[in-house]
Amino acid sequence: MIQHSTGVCDGVAKSMGGYLMVTLWTTTDDRRNLGNKGTKLYTPKKCNSIFVQTDDQKMTNVSLARVLAFCFLLCISKDSIAEVSKELEVKVNMLLQYEKDDPKCFLNGTVQIFCFWEERDEDNGTADQYTFRYTYPYCGAAVCPVTVFSIGGGRTFYSCDNFQATLYVPLSIEVLRGEQLIHNRTVFNDHIILLDPPGNLTLRTTAKPGQLKVNWVQPVFIDGDLQYEISYAVRGSQMGKRDVVRSKTDLLLQNLLPGANYSVRARARPQSSGFNGWWSAWSDPVTIRIPNETDPLILSMSLIISFIFLLLSLTIFLNHRKFLSKVLWPTIPSPESKFPDLFTVYKGDFQEWMNQSTGSMRWIPVHYYMEEPVAPLEVLSEVTVRPTPASRVSPPKDTQGAEADGARRLEVGEHEVERDSPVRWAELQHEAWMLEHLRNLHQHPAPLSQSSLLESQDAYISLNNSQKPEEEEETPGKEGGGLEEILEESIPLQTLFAGTGTRSSTSHSDLGSLQQSSGSGRLSAQSSLEYPNQTWPPHGPSYTYMAVADSGVSMDYSPMSSSQIADAEQKHKPRVIYTNEYKNELPLHKHWPLMGAANGLLRADLMDSAASKHQT
Amino acid sequence: MDLDGANERNGETPLRDYVDSVMEIPRLFAVLLIVLGWISPGLPSPLWPICDLRALDHFVKKAQEAEAAMRSCKECSFTTPFTVPQPSVDYNAWRKKDSEQQALEVQTGLWLLSQALLSLKTSVSNTALHSHIDNNLGNIVSIGQVLRSLSFPDYTPPETASVTTDTWRVTSASALFQVQFNFLRGKVRLLMSHAPVCQQAVS
Repeated sequence: MIQHSTGVCDGVAKSMGGYLMVTLWTTTDDRRNLGNKGTKLYTPKKCNSIFVQTDDQKMTNVSLARVLAFCFLLCISKDSIAEVSKELEVKVNMLLQYEKDDPKCFLNGTVQIFCFWEERDEDNGTADQYTFRYTYPYCGAAVCPVTVFSIGGGRTFYSCDNFQATLYVPLSIEVLRGEQLIHNRTVFNDHIILLDPPGNLTLRTTAKPGQLKVNWVQPVFIDGDLQYEISYAVRGSQMGKRDVVRSKTDLLLQNLLPGANYSVRARARPQSSGFNGWWSAWSDPVTIRIPNETDPLILSMSLIISFIFLLLSLTIFLNHRKFLSKVLWPTIPSPESKFPDLFTVYKGDFQEWMNQSTGSMRWIPVHYYMEEPVAPLEVLSEVTVRPTPASRVSPPKDTQGAEADGARRLEVGEHEVERDSPVRWAELQHEAWMLEHLRNLHQHPAPLSQSSLLESQDAYISLNNSQKPEEEEETPGKEGGGLEEILEESIPLQTLFAGTGTRSSTSHSDLGSLQQSSGSGRLSAQSSLEYPNQTWPPHGPSYTYMAVADSGVSMDYSPMSSSQIADAEQKHKPRVIYTNEYKNELPLHKHWPLMGAANGLLRADLMDSAASKHQT
Repeated sequence: MDLDGANERNGETPLRDYVDSVMEIPRLFAVLLIVLGWISPGLPSPLWPICDLRALDHFVKKAQEAEAAMRSCKECSFTTPFTVPQPSVDYNAWRKKDSEQQALEVQTGLWLLSQALLSLKTSVSNTALHSHIDNNLGNIVSIGQVLRSLSFPDYTPPETASVTTDTWRVTSASALFQVQFNFLRGKVRLLMSHAPVCQQAVS
């Protein structure tokens, strides 16, 4: 298609060497290229027609027609010196720095070539002086009309542009002034790419602080494979950073100063094997302000959350006020509840309170359980029927609850060594007191009623008790004939009133105090075995009383073993087998000091019945 | 025991008969599929499109190296010229052609190049240069595979020696490799970078 307008279309067709070379030129005005008025020469591609093997005449017509088809004409005005557009001026300036050879040629994004050179030698030169000749391989030389332009600074350049730009083949250029060759050069058009700067540079802040998202548009080019360089700096600062991006048109900038103004710019360059060129000009910088890190949103959110937290804690506090107060300010336990009136009425006077209170003997079992197993009950009866009041082993009232109860282990004098249990100082004292008392009683024996006897026996009164009154003997420390079958281990206690005078030391060993039991066993062994004839050694008053140990633990004494032993040593006596009916009854113990008599009575009854059973 | 053997045999054959009868249909299917596979039109299974141009860049580099190596070759000027494709590209004209035309042009050129390299190989006796020639021959074949992966139609070389598209004639090995260098990074690359298959993937 031939488009005609106001211009002139002229051409030359030359046949040479088997191919046809056609040169067509026209004056036209392409505003799109130059931006304003200028001169443009268009030479259509002609090399295609060269190798068609037809006769020349036909060739000429066909080629010409084909060539004319490429001719498009636009209205132009010819100016001697044209002004170039701003972009072109920038590129010219850049190339002046990059390129050393003349003429300086570059290819823009739309694969349009532009060549120029500067002539300083002569002034008032005209473009007509110069001939710009270029040659592609196998295509023949072509001529491009020279124009003149000037840029800021008063410099004038001669240029030739927009002629055939064939890629991937060497282009040889010759510039002649008149007939003189002044410039000669060979270039590859695909190596002289000078792109426009990237456009549409946009900046966007992201959710994270100190980050920036940069987006741009690829400059016009036939190949999409470009590399970019992004330069960003705080506005006004000279120190900036550069990032190179390949093939992408976006970049994420990080670690930026919050609150600062940043200016960002970009440039592009081909990077593939198909094209090569220089860095384009920098795009216009775009500035943006990085928001401060203390985001108001974050601040408000944190306030709301803290408020909610406060409400929550307040609610919890109000709901669990009591619990919290207990945890934070624990109550110190006071024993007031256990000791009624102690603090209120008696003002802490414990003795007074003890005297007055009747039913609260709870301090007794405390001693029972806390202390180590009590000393075994040892009842040593030296046939002294006399109810030695010393045997009153009711615990002194002044003893502390922890010490005096339960363990009434009385070993006095030389027999203390046989005691394995640890000596308790309180017991020791008590024993001393008891001993003294006993001595007194011995010296002044006073008949005591059976009840008192029983009373003194505590809860452990053997069966012999009932028979004792008849068999009372006066031999202290000496046993008489009959020795009732008082079994050492079985009979937990034997009263002093073992009337036969025989008395065997029995040991009441607690369950726990093995040492004591062994000791007492020894003792009893000593007493029973060593003295088979019941000739008890004059033990003295130490054996005239019994030690009562009320451990609260019952022990089963096998009557058989001790009975055998007893058999051997004793004459036949009405066997009294004590079947241990004593049971662990706390309530009884509780009332033991005061109601021991009652207990003893009870026990005695039981034993009586048992004894009677056995006897029969 | 004979009886056992007879029993065995008797036990086997029923099973075999059963198997035979049941598997008949699948057997027929299998045979049918094999036959169809043979006689199917020679369209291979579609390859995954190779849109990455790094392999092509590698081939371009190899051609450039061969050209540099051939420059030092003394005996590499020949009287009979090699016909090589025209590497020049007028982008405006190129853009106007459709994809098939471009593909045809590229494939014809590749074929011409391979023919030229083969004839060069027979002419050159230096074994060091042979490696270059072989490399580039292999690269050309690889490019053919890449083009096939991009769904371009296969190229059948013309029966006659004449070629209608634009060709050049070179007389030296270095010129040959220069043409190959420029042809690969020019037309072939333009074709591959603007392949419709790859464009779809991108957009």
